[in-house]
Amino acid sequence: MTPVATGVRQTSGPARRLPAGLRLTRLFLASRRVLTCLLILVACAITLRVALQWLPRTGTLSRQIPLTVEAAAAAAIGVTTRSPFGDTERAAGRWLPLLRLAAVVVTTGAALGLLATGAASRHLAGGILDLLRDLGGFAGIALLAAAVVGSGLAWAGPLGYLVVAISAIEGNWTTPWVWPARPPHDHGAAICAVVVFAAGVVVHTLRPARSSARE
Amino acid sequence: MTAATVPAAQARAWHLPRPARLLRLELRRNLMPWLLPLFAALFWLATYRPAMAAPPLWDTRGTMLQAQTMLAFAPLLAGAAAWAGSREGRRGTGDLVDVTGLPRWAGRLAAWAAVTCWAEAVYLAGVAVVYGITAHQATWGGPLWWPIYVGAATAAAACAVGFAAGALTPSRFTAPLAAVVVFLALGAGAFALQHGARPTYSQIWPLNAQGAFPPDAIGIFYPYLPDLAIAQLMFVGGLGTVALGALGLPAVSGGRWLRSIAAAVTVAGLAAAGTAVGLAGTARLETHGIVIPALHDAASDRPVAYTPVCSAGAIPVCLHPAFRGFLPDVTAAVTPVLHELAGLPGAPVRVTQVAVTTVAQAPSNGANLGPPILSGHPAVLYLPLSDVSLPGPGTPTTAFIGELRDELPPLLNSFVGLKVLNQPGSGGIIAGPSSPGAPAQIAVAMALAQDAGLLNPFPVPGNQPRHGNGSAQGPQATGAQAQAAAQAQAGAASRFAALPAATRHAWLLTHLSALRAGDITLSEIP
Repeated sequence: MTPVATGVRQTSGPARRLPAGLRLTRLFLASRRVLTCLLILVACAITLRVALQWLPRTGTLSRQIPLTVEAAAAAAIGVTTRSPFGDTERAAGRWLPLLRLAAVVVTTGAALGLLATGAASRHLAGGILDLLRDLGGFAGIALLAAAVVGSGLAWAGPLGYLVVAISAIEGNWTTPWVWPARPPHDHGAAICAVVVFAAGVVVHTLRPARSSARE
Repeated sequence: MTAATVPAAQARAWHLPRPARLLRLELRRNLMPWLLPLFAALFWLATYRPAMAAPPLWDTRGTMLQAQTMLAFAPLLAGAAAWAGSREGRRGTGDLVDVTGLPRWAGRLAAWAAVTCWAEAVYLAGVAVVYGITAHQATWGGPLWWPIYVGAATAAAACAVGFAAGALTPSRFTAPLAAVVVFLALGAGAFALQHGARPTYSQIWPLNAQGAFPPDAIGIFYPYLPDLAIAQLMFVGGLGTVALGALGLPAVSGGRWLRSIAAAVTVAGLAAAGTAVGLAGTARLETHGIVIPALHDAASDRPVAYTPVCSAGAIPVCLHPAFRGFLPDVTAAVTPVLHELAGLPGAPVRVTQVAVTTVAQAPSNGANLGPPILSGHPAVLYLPLSDVSLPGPGTPTTAFIGELRDELPPLLNSFVGLKVLNQPGSGGIIAGPSSPGAPAQIAVAMALAQDAGLLNPFPVPGNQPRHGNGSAQGPQATGAQAQAAAQAQAGAASRFAALPAATRHAWLLTHLSALRAGDITLSEIP
């Protein structure tokens, strides 16, 4: 049996569609360097665990370093949205929106799970609720930045927001739009983070990341 | 392109030497203009707003331009430079440019220089804005340049480190990772400074301006001590040089001679950075700032000449002209206390502002600052303002006056003869069994403080239980005895405070020497 014949048979019957779908998914994830992204997320989790062993339980540093790790994870998620194929892929792929959505959900979920594991049995200022809110918000900013300035520069969004968040923590700002400066149970901050994450996911799903002129 | 424009373009291009043309190309095709809005927003949030909320003092705002601005800029600059450095790797054009006539090291240095030029332009534009506004608001002095030198060098070093990371390991993930690593490195520096086992070495941290020395006392009464700034310049310059030298080490970077030069540059950078860390290890906090003996210039220890601005009154309050705007508030804060002391033996004839009375390094990169002191014959009250929050948009005048008044009770303690610990920040007393007159001294000090309207009439930091239970009776006085002693002191203080001011003054005029000598008992206080 030749590879060509195999391909024809796979697309001809419903029972054979699954392998093709899996192959498409695998190729999509490989083109986005999702495996590298997951390795970076593991490195982030290890960094968080090591940092939490040494960090003081209170003070600016106890918030600043975990936030930096969360922003790093979000930056990796944002950069992963970059497609190496551009218009060619967009013209040919019907399932791209679903694949983009699935990739973002998987990487964000993996980031949350890995960072939560890294912080397990250690004192994380704000706790897991804070981690969930802040990471979700950071990821939303990364996805929105990818849509605006291109996925190659998507990291600038969460890292720029990190600077704002650190200033807000030091200045005791109260606006919910800078959610890392708010307590974990602040409803306004949680809503803002969820809105930003949802906006990022929707924009990324419906509209692929922009290819910047500076790519 | 028309035929007519081709010769014109060629002619213009030939006017510039080859490196300058390359730099011009890199400047035009650079990522940084796309990030300018982000940098402008971050500068406004991280530096401009807090700087404008602070008093218009050159030193306060200058140190912000080093610390706050670089905390915001350095990581993003590293990321942007890494993005620029990884350009050929991302585009798969490395082989094409490797075979050009220009050595790769020179080409990469031109690309780094372009990013750095943009970075410095952004940073210096921010400096110009803050210093321009400060020039209109400040009442004395001029710009501090050492923090700006360190900030500019840190920006260049961040670009170099990021660029080298991008060029040597090109990937879509390199830019964010470079930015995050710089972020974490800055955080680790802060951690080492506050919690490290050998914090003196951590003084080299490039966001650290004069360590724990109060920023509103730097470079005003004495020249700005550049010791630490010089070491920081060596450190960040060395790091940047190492990164740029490493760019020339791969085989594709150039010929053998060029790579030898790159290796020498790398080693020189390592030596400079290592030397700087070693110098920082010898740093110590003194009354003018951070001193590094090997870099210290004795001329920096001479006070800066100035003509103080003084209030009109029986006991003038004199401030440094840089603090001219705070004279009414300082006068309002100290006048009630001066009124209590006026005319008594040993009362101050003048209040003079000083940077600090004493300063000592404290844990977590803190500083123990001494309280106001009475000294000299005739006595002068030396008043530092470094331990209080100066009034401004972030601090109401009433809060400033309240904080300053909280500094004054130890002065009353020493005035009535209580032995004051000569340790910065102690502000407390030693009143043990060997001081039989201490209860009366405490009672009088409490009465004077109460009459002067001080909210906290007798602060003994970290010693409240002892004080509250009658510190004059010593550690052995506990329980009911201590309670009774404390009540007796408080009763005498209330009794004395209730006297008419003239009567109280007359009694003090007569008995102050005996009170100071410890010869007055509680029952003798009217």
